Order: sequence, then C-alpha cells, then structure tokens
Amino acid sequence: MSIFEYNGSAVVAMVGKNCFAIASDRRLGVQLQTIATDFKRISKIHDRLFIGLSGLATDVQTLYQRLVFRHKLYQLREERDMKPETFASLVSAILYEKRFGPYLCQPVIAGLGEDDKPFICTMDSIGAKELAKDFVVSGTASESLYGACEAMYKPDMEAEELFETISQALLSSVDRDCLSGWGGHVYVVTPNEIKERILKGRMD
Amino acid sequence: MKLDTSGFETSMPTIGFGSSNDMLDGFSTVPSFDLPRTTDFDGFQKEAVQMVKPAKGTTTLAFIFKEGVMVAADSRASMGGYISSQSVKKIIEINPYMLGTMAGGAADCQFWHRNLGIKCRLHELANKRRISVSGASKLLANMLYSYRGMGLSVGTMIAGWDETGPGLYYVDNEGGRLKGDRFSVGSGSPYAYGVLDSGYKFDMSVEEASELARRSIYHATFRDGASGGVASVYHVGSNGWTKLSGDDVGELHYHYYPVPPAIAEQVMEEAAAE
Repeated sequence: MSIFEYNGSAVVAMVGKNCFAIASDRRLGVQLQTIATDFKRISKIHDRLFIGLSGLATDVQTLYQRLVFRHKLYQLREERDMKPETFASLVSAILYEKRFGPYLCQPVIAGLGEDDKPFICTMDSIGAKELAKDFVVSGTASESLYGACEAMYKPDMEAEELFETISQALLSSVDRDCLSGWGGHVYVVTPNEIKERILKGRMD
Repeated sequence: MKLDTSGFETSMPTIGFGSSNDMLDGFSTVPSFDLPRTTDFDGFQKEAVQMVKPAKGTTTLAFIFKEGVMVAADSRASMGGYISSQSVKKIIEINPYMLGTMAGGAADCQFWHRNLGIKCRLHELANKRRISVSGASKLLANMLYSYRGMGLSVGTMIAGWDETGPGLYYVDNEGGRLKGDRFSVGSGSPYAYGVLDSGYKFDMSVEEASELARRSIYHATFRDGASGGVASVYHVGSNGWTKLSGDDVGELHYHYYPVPPAIAEQVMEEAAAE
C-alpha cells in the first residue's frame, strides 16, 4: 500500500444551484487498523469557503493549519475574505513550494464566489489545479467516487437534493473501500446558511 | 530530505566541470544525495515491506465448548484497498459433520477443501466409517506441506464432531497443524481474540456461544479494514453442523450501539453525532 493509502480517506464536493456541498468520510486508520471514527477532514476557511484534505492525516492537519494562518494574514491586510479562486491559487503555490518533499495530501476546495456562484476544484499533491463544473473527488475511494458521482449527479440541484445526492454517492463509494468510511460528514453551503450533518454509514 | 535529482542532468555530458555556462548556472552543481549501499536500489525494500504486509484480509474464528464447536467468519473479500465482494462464503461445508474456514487465497481454500471432502468420502467408502477430524486435518496438512513454498495461501480451521467428540484443528499453507480449543485466523484475528478470550467459558449454552462468536466477528469488522460484510455463525454438534445466523455487520453495529435519535427536525439520512 502506498503512503497515500496509509490513513485512508474519501472527499467529494458537488456544485448545485447557488450552493455547494462538500463531504468526507470519518475514518482514521493505520493501514488496515481503524484508530478513530470521528476524524475531521473538512475545515472551514471562512463562511463561504471550505477545504477538504485527503491523504496522509498528519499532512492534512499541518497543511490546514498553514492555510488558516495564511488566510488570517490576508484578512488582516486586505480586510476582507479571500475569494475561492484566489485561495485555490494560494494552495497550489504552497503545495508546489514543497515540490521535492511534498505534503502527501490532495485538497478539495469548495466555495461560493461572487454573485453566489459556486466554485470547486481539486489538486494533486504538488498543486496541479483541476477545476470542474460538476463534482470533484479525492482519496483512496476516488475511483468509486467518480463512478457514483457520474451516475448520480444532475446540474442545478437545490440544497436538499444536493445533500441527498452527495450523501448517497459518498456512502456507496466508501462501501467499496476497505480504508475509508465508518460514517460521513457533509456540509451544504448556501448564501444564507451552512448546514453540517453527520451520516450513519456502515461501520465495517 | 535528499532526493533523486538525476533528472536535472543534461543530455550534454561533456560540459566542462567548473566552466561557467549561463544556461547551467544553478544546475551545474548537482546536489549529491545519500544512496543505500545495495545492488538492487529499486527492489531492496520490497522484501521488508512484503514481510509486514497484512496477509489474509479476513476474520474467522472457531472454538470448542460444552455443546460442540462454534465456527464464525466475516464475508469480505479485498484486493489491496478495494472491496471486491461483501458476500463471500468463508465457511465451507466439507461434509455434513465437518466445516472448514477460509482465510487467504479464496481459490486455494475452495479447491483444497473440496479436495479434502473428496478424500474424506473415499475414506468412508474404503473403511466403512467416517473419518475423524484429526485424520481429515492431517490429510489436508500433508497435502499443503507437499506444496510448501509454491505460493499457496491457506489459513484454515477444520472443525467437526467425530467419535471422540468435538475436534478443532488449525492448518496453514506452511504445512503447520495445531490442535486447540480456540483459534482465530486473519487480519482481524487480534480484535476477535480480544472479545473471544474475555467472554469465553467452557460451560456456555449454544445461544451464549453463538452470541459471543457473532460479537467477536462484529468487533473485528469494526476495527479491521479488511473484514466486513456479514457475520455468519455455524454450530457443529453431535448431529452435524447447522447455520445459526448470518447478520449484516452494518446493522449489527447499530444493534449493539444504537444512536439516540435527534430531536425535532430530522431528514432521513440524518443522525445525531456519536
């Protein structure tokens, strides 16, 4: 098993009508052994911007701390929140700085830009940005996630339908992966509110 | 961290060392890096990694108690990280009074158990009496020993009831054969042993023993990534084996650890954080 599969993870983000959803599994493992079932992979940068990190858990935590630091600095200097596109470029630059000793994670960034237009993108571990209009996936269950999202996704879904879709896609994909699952964590973000929900999944 | 920067070496190897060249400034001094002192740079770690690689992704267990032998297993088949099936039959019915468990290579276990069933039947016909569990496990162990080193992967338990009472043997692809009262085989076995050993009593009823077996498999599927699916429990008594239960482990979790329902607004998928 490669180093990216050491801890196990699954992260997915989807675009809806003026809203987005980002979801992850909750397992933290050491290869096949499950250590925790409440590991936080998705973090808020500001009220309209979330980042989900898959891959090596220690780098997930460290990278998140670095990014929060950079965003807080930005807030102090610019007196406003970062736009999602700008944040994606920041993450890409930070990852490429470590080109020859990379952070072993793959981020998924989801945010609401200007005019409440949802923005999602994913990156590999050295910062190659991949923008998408519909959904992005990352983690050990990424192949299953691609299949599930492709089958279940429809454009312009409202918040509730988007939540159902992303939850089903996540749960059915992690049920085919030994290293991720044990519950799910979903954030659905609209211009007015953030709804955080925890999914009951198979605990095997 | 020293890295392989040989990709930076240009295809013009005769650029003089120390001669300044605008293009190569900054690249002309190729940083050195520590190399392991071995002839096989790409593969020398493989053996070490393979040694600690988790083998036999499964959980099976069997134990002898007052009323016979209890045999239980999960039903997940995994290929590395991918779950290839959640509904594999890991308890193989050799004949009406003997069961074998499957751990390791599925094809190996299925084939050799069927082969063992054939040999047992031939023994019955030749000797006009059923083969003992000891004899059956010895047949299997000897067969596997003759294929030692050829890459078979079999970690099986032969459980049965013969004239001497309940019998349980562990047989593996190295040719090892152990007689015992309690065994668990597979990557989830440490977790199963923890629950099994702390709850085991010889004087259990069939219900208590089956619940203990089921719970041990459940706990193993919770902690071990390579075990899951359905927990099957079989009982081998004086009249042969019977299947007692086959519970989906996903539902068992909420049976043992129910989630208190959240109050008020609740969408179908929602559950209170555990």
